[in-house]
Order: sequence, then C-alpha cells, then structure tokens
Amino acid sequence: MKAFNIIMIIAWRNLWRNRRRTVLTAGTVSLGLGLLLVFLGIGDGSHRQMIQGAVGLGGAHVAVQAREYQTRGGIERTLSNSQVARVSPWVESQRDGLGISYVLRRVFAAGLASSADGATGIRLIGLEPEPEKAASVFDEKLVRGKFLTSAEETGAVIGEGVARKLELEPGEKFVLMAQAAGSAEIESLLLRVTGIMRTGVEDFDQATVLIPLSTAQELLRLGDSVHQVAIMLNQLDNSEAVARLGRQELPADVEVLSWLELMPELRDFIKIDDGGSYVFNSLFFLIIAFLVANTLLMSVLERRREFALLDALGFTPTRRFLLVILEASWIAVLSVAVGTALGYAGHLYFYHKGLPLDVFYSSEVSAGGTVIDPIIYSYLSWRRIAGAAGLVFALTFLLALLPAWRGAKGQDAHLLGQA
Amino acid sequence: MSNSNSESLLRLEGVSRHYVQGDQVVCALENVSFTATRGEFIAIAGPSGSGKTTLLNVCAGLDHPTSGKVWLGNRDLSELNRHQLARLRLEEIGFIFQSFNLIPVLSAEENAEFILLLRGVPDRERREKVGALLKEVGLEGMEHRRPGQLSGGQQQRVAVARAIAAEPKLVLADEPTANLDTDTAFSLLNLMERLNREHGTTFLFSTHDPRVMQRAHRIIHLLDGRIESDQRVAVPQM
Repeated sequence: MKAFNIIMIIAWRNLWRNRRRTVLTAGTVSLGLGLLLVFLGIGDGSHRQMIQGAVGLGGAHVAVQAREYQTRGGIERTLSNSQVARVSPWVESQRDGLGISYVLRRVFAAGLASSADGATGIRLIGLEPEPEKAASVFDEKLVRGKFLTSAEETGAVIGEGVARKLELEPGEKFVLMAQAAGSAEIESLLLRVTGIMRTGVEDFDQATVLIPLSTAQELLRLGDSVHQVAIMLNQLDNSEAVARLGRQELPADVEVLSWLELMPELRDFIKIDDGGSYVFNSLFFLIIAFLVANTLLMSVLERRREFALLDALGFTPTRRFLLVILEASWIAVLSVAVGTALGYAGHLYFYHKGLPLDVFYSSEVSAGGTVIDPIIYSYLSWRRIAGAAGLVFALTFLLALLPAWRGAKGQDAHLLGQA
Repeated sequence: MSNSNSESLLRLEGVSRHYVQGDQVVCALENVSFTATRGEFIAIAGPSGSGKTTLLNVCAGLDHPTSGKVWLGNRDLSELNRHQLARLRLEEIGFIFQSFNLIPVLSAEENAEFILLLRGVPDRERREKVGALLKEVGLEGMEHRRPGQLSGGQQQRVAVARAIAAEPKLVLADEPTANLDTDTAFSLLNLMERLNREHGTTFLFSTHDPRVMQRAHRIIHLLDGRIESDQRVAVPQM
C-alpha cells in the first residue's frame, strides 16, 4: 500500500511538471467530454420530445390491447368490458408506485368521411374527451374551433388535411362511414366539426378524425368494448418496466406494450439516429484519442532516463507500468471532473433555453410518425453521464497501455551515466 | 546452478559485453573476472570509455553480459527475469550516480525514503531512519526541498542517503564525486568510508580521479574493457 501511495504521489506530481501540456491534454479531453454530453443531451432531448409528441397524438407510454391487435389489427379484436374491468384495478393499484398519470380508453377504425365537396379515407379515433384533453396534445394542436366534449356526442375534431379535402370549417357537417364490428354492414353517422387541428405530421393531419368514445362505440357496434387502454406515465423511462409488470400481472388474453412496441416506426427512427450519433461521436473521440495517445507517449519517451533510474532503484516493470497508467488516470479524473461540469452546464443551458433549430426547419417537419420540435430541450440522464465518463476512463486507460508498456520495458540503463 | 561462496558478495566470471554499433562490434567489457567480498571498499578506476559504467550496470543486472556470469550472493543474475532483478536491486543494492539522478518530483526526504517506501517499512521506523540519515549527511532542515532547490553536493548527499537508507549489502556508485567540488567530494568519500566501516556496507565505485582512488582499499583498473590490474592497498588507520 505504501508503494502504491508513493506511485500515486509521483504520478500526480509528474502531471504538473509540464503544467501547460497537462492543462492542454486534460482540457482537450474535458472539452471533448463536455461536447459529447451536450450532444447526448440534445440527442436524447430531441428523442424524448418526439416520443412525448407521438404519445400525445394518440399514442401511449404503455398500452393494453386485445392479444395480437398490434400485429393483426381488426375491428373485432377488442378488450371487452370485463377485460377492461380487470385492467382498471391493476392500474389503480399501481398508479402511485409506477407514476401513472392518465388511463384512457380508445377505439380505432378506418372509415370514409364525405361532405358535399368530396370524400376521403380517414382513420377514426374514438376517445374520452375530457381526460384526453388533459393527457394528449390534440387540444393544443387546434387551429380553429374547439375540442370535443362528452356532451356533444356528434362532435368531431378533424385533421387540417381532412378539412381541406372536404372543405369543412367548424360548425359544418360531414358523414362518416365505417364498417361495424361483426357485420358486413357499413354504418354511417352525421357529425359536426367542432375543431380543426394541425399537428405537423402530414399523414396524421390528412386522415384523422376524433370523435367521442361512446359515439364511436355506437357507430362501430362495439358495445362497451374498446381497442386500447392507453396508460400515460409521469416518467417516460418507466415505460418498459410498467409494460413488463403488466405482462406479468395482467391476464394472458391481453397484450401489454410499451411505446417501443406500440410505435415501431419511431423506435426505429431513434435507433437509426442514435447509430448516426454514435458514429459521429466515435470519430470525434478518435481524433481526441490520437492527440492524447501522442502526448502520453511523448511524456514517457522524454523521461526514459527517469524510468531507467526507477528500474535501477528496484522499481519493478509492473510498478513502472502502473505509474504511467496512474498518470493517465489522473488526467482522466481531471478531465472527467471538468468535462462533466462543462457538459452539465451546457445541458442545463439547453434544458432551460432550448436549442432553436427553426433556422433550419419549421415546426411542420415530421419523422417516425411524429413531429420534430424546432426547439430542442436537452435531457441528460445520470446513466448517460456515467457512460460517457466511463468511456473517457476506458479510452484513457487503453491509450496509456502503449506508453505504459514502453515505460515498463526499461533497458535504458546507459542513460543513467549521462549528465 | 547456484555457486555460493560464504565470503563473496559479488562475483564476475569471464564477463564480456559487446555492443553492435552500425557495422562495428564495440567491446565494452572483455573477459572481466573478480570477486568482491563483504565489507570491501573497491574503486573501479580507468579513463573514460574504459567500461566502468558498463561494469557497474552489469553488476546490478541493469545490463546483461554477452558472455560470462555474474553472481550476487549465490544468485546467478542471468537466471533472473526483469521483475526478479528489480526486486534484487530493491532488496540488496544501493545506487549512487554521477549525475545524482534523484526523482525530481519528490522532496529530499521522500527521495531518501523512496527505497524504504517501496519495501513497505512502517512509517515511524522509516521517518526516524531517514531523519537520522539526512542529519548524518548534513541535510537537516532541507528535508522538504525538491532536487531543483538543492546544490549538486546536496543532491548527491540525498542520493547517498537513499542508497544506504535500506542498508543494502552492496552500494554501486558511478563516479559519485565527478560533479562535486573538492570539499564536497571528500566529505562524501568520508561518509561512504564511515558507512563502510561502521555498517560493513560493501562499496564498489568507479572513478578516474586519483585522489578518490587513494581512499579505496582495493583498486581495479580497467582499460578498454579489460582488467589491467587488481590491487589491494593498505587500509589507513582512522
């Protein structure tokens, strides 16, 4: 232990023999780590905004559906009232523990909307107006009119694209036709437009019609059945854990999906985006790595005589190796401390102020089935910070291996006699 | 393979060290044999380039003979790996160099106690020993100075303190007085002699200074890597 202590001390003091070089090296790594954390924060923040945006547009953090509804669909594949009744107590029992904020019942169907000016295929969502208004972003996306109410049973909120095709304005009527469950009959219903929404997601705005749940159930002859019980959480990160618990505790005739399974397009978009970021970040760090590796190697090569002295004094190759590794580790410790502080400061700035990207694109840009917000707010988890810090440590350790091996090798005894 | 001799501390048998420089083979040592017994105070004399430093390096296992054998005690150095050789130096050999070679980031006290730290000697014992040693070499009050804040003579005293702090069986000194003024050089030689006399430490030091040679009890003359003469001289009464 005493030997280790003195090696630690020598390593630390060696750092400050060439103060400028140490500051430059640690500064480069710190800056690299700081920027990496800012990039990660912006990336994760944008992904979370996309996920929350998609969840708010008829998605869910966790969804309970009839088995195979996700893959096979079908209007008859519903959760019966008794199945919903079994889900509700579980949700209530977990509400506080899992941070469940809203539970929403929904039905979905394809249909045809027509007015005097035309007809268009639509995707119908039957929902509970009051809780949906609080939990979703439909209300915020209204450009004209108002949102649904339970009292207004024939009211409908339509996407701006639908309104344009059918030349509808709030207060005007249109006919909605859809195939009823368990029958070949086409049911139709006269609805009145209460509001028009623009989400920025082209596909959504071109084809979505929202109506009250009870109206949709009646139109589709579903009785009390629904297609989905959407669970909204306070914490996005809990989605998978809640879904896992649901799969364990809910009956086997329902499927419990996290947003990852519910919105595969978005999940895949994020994966691809993450992949691109990893490549960029890796290249960025590779450049820094070469710089650090060069500095570490130089610092050993210019101290060959000192390593020969240590060898002569009985400092074993293992200890000489350890000395260089510890010098690199001190640089890593300093860099991680400063880099994390820098990165966290950057994160805090973008967390509060946001990164405005509206210079490059408008609020109408969508990807993965959701809109990309033109102002991105950073989100940085401790896991990300720990991962990035771990990467710097691991990288510095790897980069120190060659200089450490050179320092351990010795065989420079001839230098000891030189003045 | 061991070849023990109760009297001998260091034994060289037919040691040669050749270096290849470009197309030429340089003979730094050629068929060198001698034995150093415990408590000897030996000078390796010879002009520059005669092989003195190479000989000391070979004795410490820092350099390896092209042919021949070196024994320290009953251990054949050629049979030890780099780790074992480093351990051996740590446990049994003290080094004093011409150019002091202190660890620049450690204070005088830390340099002096360096070997003891590596050996894991308890704090109290280590501090007492080093404190006494620094006092003995005349560096009291300078314990916390770094090498850059000490004169050449003071640095060499620290190097001596470091070399003898762990009471090695053998101290190898490569021209220890070469960079010192006359007074400091003699003061250092006095110290080495005293340690040899009082602690029985074996000293093997290289020099080309006749005044230093006079203090040795035995002088091995090297010329072009070969032993030209090996003389024992009468030990003056102190």
